[in-house]
Amino acid sequence: MLIQTTQLTKDVETSEGILHILQATDLQIAAGETVAIVGASGSGKSTLLSLLAGLDLASNGDVSIDNVKLSDLDEEQRAKVRADKIGFIFQSFLLIPSLTALENVMLPAELAGNKEAEKHARELLSKVGLQDRLTHYPNQLSGGEQQRVAIARAFVGTPKILFADEPTGNLDATTGQKIEDLLFDMNEASGTTLVMVTHDSELAQRCQRVLRMDAGKLTEVVRDVA
Amino acid sequence: MWHKLSWRLLKHELRRGELTIMAAAIVLSVTAVLSLALFTDRLQAGLSERSAEFLAADRVLSSRREVSEDWIARAQAEGLQTAQRVVFNSMAFAGEQLALVDVKAVSDGYPLRGELRVAEQPYAQDQVAQGLPAPGEAWVAAALFQELQLEIGDTIEIGDSAFSVEKVLTYEPDVGFSVFTDSPNVLINYSELAATGLIQPGSRVRFNILYAGEPAALATYEEWLTPQLNDDTHNWRSIEDGDSPLARSLQRAERFMLLASLLGVVLAATAVAVAAQRYCQRNYDVVAIFKTLGAQRAQIQKIFILHLLLLTSFSIAVGVALGWLIQSQVVDLVARYFDVNLPAASGRGYLLAIGTGLVSAVMFTLYPLLRLVGIPPLRVLNRQLTGTDRLRWLHWVASGGTIYLLLWLYSQQWLLSTALFAGGALAAVILLLVGRLFIRASRQAGMQAGSAWRLAMAGLQRRAQANSVQMLSFSTAIMLLLLVLALRHELLADWQRQLPDDAPNYFLINVAEDDVDALKQRFAERNVAANDMYPIVPGRMTAVNGVPVVDEVSKEERESDAEVQSEQREGFGRELSLTWRDTLPPNNEIIAGEWWGVNAAPQVSIESEVAERMRVGLGDELEFNIGGEVFSVPITSIREVNWGSLQPNFFMIFNTSTLEDFPASYISSFNLPEERKSELYELFKPFPQVSLIDLDAIMDQLREVIEQVSIAILFVLILVIVAGILVLLAQVQASLEEREKELVILRTLGAPAKLLSRAVTYEFVILGAISGLIATLAMEVSLYILQTQVFELGATFHWRFWLVGPIAGAVIVGIMGRLACGRLIRRNTAQLIRRLA
Repeated sequence: MLIQTTQLTKDVETSEGILHILQATDLQIAAGETVAIVGASGSGKSTLLSLLAGLDLASNGDVSIDNVKLSDLDEEQRAKVRADKIGFIFQSFLLIPSLTALENVMLPAELAGNKEAEKHARELLSKVGLQDRLTHYPNQLSGGEQQRVAIARAFVGTPKILFADEPTGNLDATTGQKIEDLLFDMNEASGTTLVMVTHDSELAQRCQRVLRMDAGKLTEVVRDVA
Repeated sequence: MWHKLSWRLLKHELRRGELTIMAAAIVLSVTAVLSLALFTDRLQAGLSERSAEFLAADRVLSSRREVSEDWIARAQAEGLQTAQRVVFNSMAFAGEQLALVDVKAVSDGYPLRGELRVAEQPYAQDQVAQGLPAPGEAWVAAALFQELQLEIGDTIEIGDSAFSVEKVLTYEPDVGFSVFTDSPNVLINYSELAATGLIQPGSRVRFNILYAGEPAALATYEEWLTPQLNDDTHNWRSIEDGDSPLARSLQRAERFMLLASLLGVVLAATAVAVAAQRYCQRNYDVVAIFKTLGAQRAQIQKIFILHLLLLTSFSIAVGVALGWLIQSQVVDLVARYFDVNLPAASGRGYLLAIGTGLVSAVMFTLYPLLRLVGIPPLRVLNRQLTGTDRLRWLHWVASGGTIYLLLWLYSQQWLLSTALFAGGALAAVILLLVGRLFIRASRQAGMQAGSAWRLAMAGLQRRAQANSVQMLSFSTAIMLLLLVLALRHELLADWQRQLPDDAPNYFLINVAEDDVDALKQRFAERNVAANDMYPIVPGRMTAVNGVPVVDEVSKEERESDAEVQSEQREGFGRELSLTWRDTLPPNNEIIAGEWWGVNAAPQVSIESEVAERMRVGLGDELEFNIGGEVFSVPITSIREVNWGSLQPNFFMIFNTSTLEDFPASYISSFNLPEERKSELYELFKPFPQVSLIDLDAIMDQLREVIEQVSIAILFVLILVIVAGILVLLAQVQASLEEREKELVILRTLGAPAKLLSRAVTYEFVILGAISGLIATLAMEVSLYILQTQVFELGATFHWRFWLVGPIAGAVIVGIMGRLACGRLIRRNTAQLIRRLA
């Protein structure tokens, strides 16, 4: 299994006592799978995503990525895991405003010490159709274009896993549709494992597996095989 | 790889103007420190060169005995110029007439600074003297021509020698201001001194060595010489010592420049601090994204440290260039305006400026940077996360330490730095508390107001914590601005008082008692503005509480100096000018005891510095000898005297009944404009024994020096204002960013742009007004302390500033807030939301 959790929980202390954001969760995702996590706002989807990606630490239980337990790693080592194996796409794009499109895409590869970062970034940007926008800053790009830059950035390190948090949440329907297509096309071409948080059920349906999060409890949605 | 990233970020951010405030703050701190340091350095060097004229040298060693030749040789070996000046009292005879004169024997080179001026006839147009009196010649003050009824070419006898009177001495740079205690001067050549036979063991003579030369050589010599000096015998002087009006003006000006510069430095540092905080906050998201994308902490550290260093170096370079340019322009202007050469600046200014930029950039970003590097990657999903706040104390320690360090670096004075720092820290705490109180109070006041006001008040209240910190920087900036403004005003006013256009330019001595009324009447008839007539009775102070004071230097004393003298008080060693009055003279202030009014019991009022030197106080009995008659009186008051005022001033003033029966002559001073100078002869024709002393030359010089200093002060003021505005700007920018989210929400909910911009403007107006008010309060307290403790000026209340402070605060902060928020509101809502998403 590429991603595996055992009895994963997340609690936070509030003034009104302990809040169980994520109840004991066991989850296995195999390499190459595409998985959607759906659920209402505040149900704990994003928390699960942050735990799977090693952005946050679990209260109990474990996450393993590629058979490495994240709870055994310190923050630096978890960053290394992200650098080597994980790509991200966020609802709000999270591009660095003072870097150009090309530089934003190069960034993860550069951080990982890849000498051919620029070459890869150029290729990816032309794959997402932005070969003419290399030197534009994020605020000079439309929302759809920004998300395409983000997608290019997510793939530049040839990650094993791609985490996407509401990738079309900030886009209009037409643009959202195009971004979806692009994302799935590129994912398929590279054989990357995709874990996507969304509350767009249509989008979720394009994944092989759909998991539903409800008040911190994760259940697998069984679909008609037909 | 990371250095490429760092450089790339810097390049783009600079181009996009995102680092403008941070860069501007560093540039300003460097520019301000550099131009101030260079300019004050050069101005001070220029001024002391000018002021040295008042000593006729850069330094003077004054001694009771002849000075060892070795000391002079040593000075010459150091490359210093030297000249000798020997001064003593003697009788001068001319035919049947005789008079007490001050004889001044001077060697070649005198005066080393300034110039001698002479005329061919008394009160004729004078010119710069060429050389010195030749052996056998004497140059004589105009007063003596009247007293001895001399003509040019007559002979006067002094001791065993006879001198031919060749010129009228009209101006000696070192004549000083103690004209009332001095007799008219006779200038002779040093080579004639021995022949007079007047220099005997035990005679009262002052041997002076005059020195002039490069500051470094002077300092080296001073270091070598001063340990060998004996306090009882020697006196080492520079222009800053002493009681001349110039010395005081210069000291005050220097203190002001130092203080104002320090405040400027603090302001610039504050701007850096505010900007640094903002610089780091802006990068929170960037760091979170970096970390999410797998960046290691060490990588991020390197990237941002390099980024900051690059930014700092860039800003320092710009600052140095700008500072150099500014000060060279100002120096050029001053030099052209006053026709003086300002010496080259020292390297210290550059070091100081670069150090200031570096230290403030590094120290103020230390904590924000730590926090920045600690931003958790999870921030990409939860924008509220800002990392740990545990090390906040480190920030206060680092910032406080930095400000203290800068104060010390700039002033090199522990005491001043500590006092300013402690005062500032206390003021900051009080400002924080008062600020919060004000906000709470204004909330209640604003409840009835219209909707924009209500929104503003609600905003103020909600952000009370953040606002009170913002208010601290607003208040500090406004307070320092007001402080420098008010101080400048006080200093200029003080100088103006000291040298009004109608300041006396002539002193009048030797007025006979019988002539007093006639002279007063003549002044009135001719419309001449004259001061009071002061009676003068020459007398010696002989004992304190029955114990005699040491007055003459006896032969035994010369052999065993120290022991005898430490036991006994040292007297004045000369006759004092004693006077009596019923009323306290102007520019005198009683600091202990009471003025007598019409009290008939014998008593005396003593000048404060003399009282301190003689170790006497209220109730001590002083014994005086006037023409053989000995009496003693208690001290009933101690006066502080403004020696800078060009009026007769006295160490000892008696009540009328004590002195009025002694024979007295009278003195006074008056003003006669340049164009009426020709009337002088006519004016005093009926009073041939009256002597006149012309002060125009000295006063002109004084005016010129003060004018130069005023320009310098204006320059400092402008720099401080720029620094203050930058702090305000940085703070408004920072606080607006905090308001951004709220603005966007309100805008999205359909609040009209006008309402929002008004609400924000009002909020800043209120913040500015409160800050202005607090600033005025703090300014008034600081000014009181500065006036009374540092500048020795009288304390005054500045009611105008109580209006100016709050209004200026409201207007400036309001306008800045309005401008900054305008940009935000002009964007469309979708853009705004995207910014915040």
